[in-house]
Amino acid sequence: MRPSKSTRIALLIYGILTIAFLYLPLVSVGFASISKARYLSFPIRAYSTKWYGKALESESVQDLLITSLMIAGIVTVISMVVGFFGALAFARYQWRYRTLFQKIILLPIFFPQMVLGLALLMWFNSIGIIPSWKTAVIAHLVWIAPIATLIIAIRAYSFDPALEEAARDMGANTTTILREITLPLLMPGIISAGLFSFLLSWGNFPLSLFTTGADSTLPEWLYAKMVSGYSPLVPTLGILSVVGSFLLIMLAFALSWLMRSIKQSRASQI
Amino acid sequence: MSTDPILRLDGIVKRFGDFTALHGINLDITEGEFLTIVGPSGSGKSTLIRLLVGMDEVTSGEIRLRGKRIDQTPANERPTCMVFQSLALFPHMSVGQNIEFPLKIQGVPVTDRKARALELLETLRLPTSFYDKRINQCSGGEKQRVALARALAFDPEILFFDEPLSALDYRLRKTLEKELKDLHNRTGKTFVYITHSLEEAMVMSDRIAIMKEGRFEQIAVADEIYGAPVSRFVAEFMGEVNLFDVTGAAKTGLEAQNVEININGNAADLGLALNPGNPGTLMVRPEFVRFLPPGETADFIVAGKMHAEYALGSRIQYEVEAAGKMLTVEKLREDRFMGKPGDKVMLGFDGEAAHLILESPHGAD
Repeated sequence: MRPSKSTRIALLIYGILTIAFLYLPLVSVGFASISKARYLSFPIRAYSTKWYGKALESESVQDLLITSLMIAGIVTVISMVVGFFGALAFARYQWRYRTLFQKIILLPIFFPQMVLGLALLMWFNSIGIIPSWKTAVIAHLVWIAPIATLIIAIRAYSFDPALEEAARDMGANTTTILREITLPLLMPGIISAGLFSFLLSWGNFPLSLFTTGADSTLPEWLYAKMVSGYSPLVPTLGILSVVGSFLLIMLAFALSWLMRSIKQSRASQI
Repeated sequence: MSTDPILRLDGIVKRFGDFTALHGINLDITEGEFLTIVGPSGSGKSTLIRLLVGMDEVTSGEIRLRGKRIDQTPANERPTCMVFQSLALFPHMSVGQNIEFPLKIQGVPVTDRKARALELLETLRLPTSFYDKRINQCSGGEKQRVALARALAFDPEILFFDEPLSALDYRLRKTLEKELKDLHNRTGKTFVYITHSLEEAMVMSDRIAIMKEGRFEQIAVADEIYGAPVSRFVAEFMGEVNLFDVTGAAKTGLEAQNVEININGNAADLGLALNPGNPGTLMVRPEFVRFLPPGETADFIVAGKMHAEYALGSRIQYEVEAAGKMLTVEKLREDRFMGKPGDKVMLGFDGEAAHLILESPHGAD
């Protein structure tokens, strides 16, 4: 069906607005990152890639990247595991406090992250834990694990319980069912939950601000540099961070494509 | 024939909270038979089969497989297998991997597994090239066969079926019903099938068990269930039927309540009489009712007025009104009765085609 004229105009406006608000600002940061000047100004008179070289050489930048990567990496792995079992409890099994669990698990997502970060910081202090990147992992998990759970739960909802019952009927025990049936079928959900977890942790600012203590993540550093002492490294690192996220997504797509083609080639050879 | 049953159910009760789904089921299943449990939705047949395969626990009662109690044995340790309504084929595995799944669980070596899977594909009349097909590349009928092959690979003592054909279109269902019966003959396994479809039950089964509200209403061979039901419920459940409320009468043996039935002689001579004053139901299937041309007679005669005619394919169904009650007559197309709505007709049927249900009118409940 062809959309009506007014719908087409609305779609066009929507498209233009999306580009104007979502992608143009990124492009301007991109330009700023390759400007030769020390200060951000338009139009850019001379271009240079020297800031990329500097950024990659700088030890403090390397520390930032490592801290951010470490937090995001650990958060991703734990979110995938917790999210998997959480999703089974959320969507797959009938148990007494299920509806309560379903509601409670959603709460952290609706909490303002600033408040959540502050609350966690105060809690860490009161039980005598010195904030560091490790406490940030916990803070990120409080917010991200429920999201991962929800993403996997969506997949778990579309899962026919008869599949597990059939496997059991044919002699499979609980571990075998988990390994042969449940895990492979939920895998697409687990992978996308992992991607989301990584990206949400990688780009998170409010929770990190409160809970990293003396350590600093990339978004924190970007913010600090913007409010005091702008450096041309700011747009450079900003772009690097975007490119990192983008590469991760590309990697995920490539992996899923690769897996599918392996399966197909295995299926076609007789 | 009179050997010990392969499966014996003894007083099976299942309660869900305050609701009792099964009220003490007793049943003996003979080795090698094809038993179908038929009932409307909510009759408890699905609950029963879930208990039999071990997916739910009995509230009380005993299930014995070859004399050994299995009602407390978990599903994965019972030597039985079920073909699910949704078939429950594993979508992430190929056809071959699906069929081999139970063998893999049993620890059968890879080469033996594959040999057995290919053998089963042949048994189910699927080309061996299906071995590497993905499940979502199979049609509805092919999926059925794969599910059957997988269940047979398990080599169960009893094979259970939970309405696996219900999602298929009519023609395919008919084909698969016959194939299933054929498969039963070839494998010699015990099949227990549940369905809400009378036709499915009639085509395939050695015995049919009719279920109603968590109890068996009647367990018998198909012909007996069809021709001599024990209750109005069974009679009506097993397809189109004409039922007459009757009471015993001294002179003619029977007296109809609402319709006038002329009885040729005494119903007692036909073995269809009731003690005077006792209520009952006289039943006759539509295909045994004749349109009587003038001068011809039958054991039971009812006068009526043609109401409507429906073409059912090979058969024609007529509705005839008699004293406000609709009677159904069915004729083969070649025996088509030419009559217009409103025509006065005489209907007749004979004693051997009729059956007397002794239960009081409108059931015991």
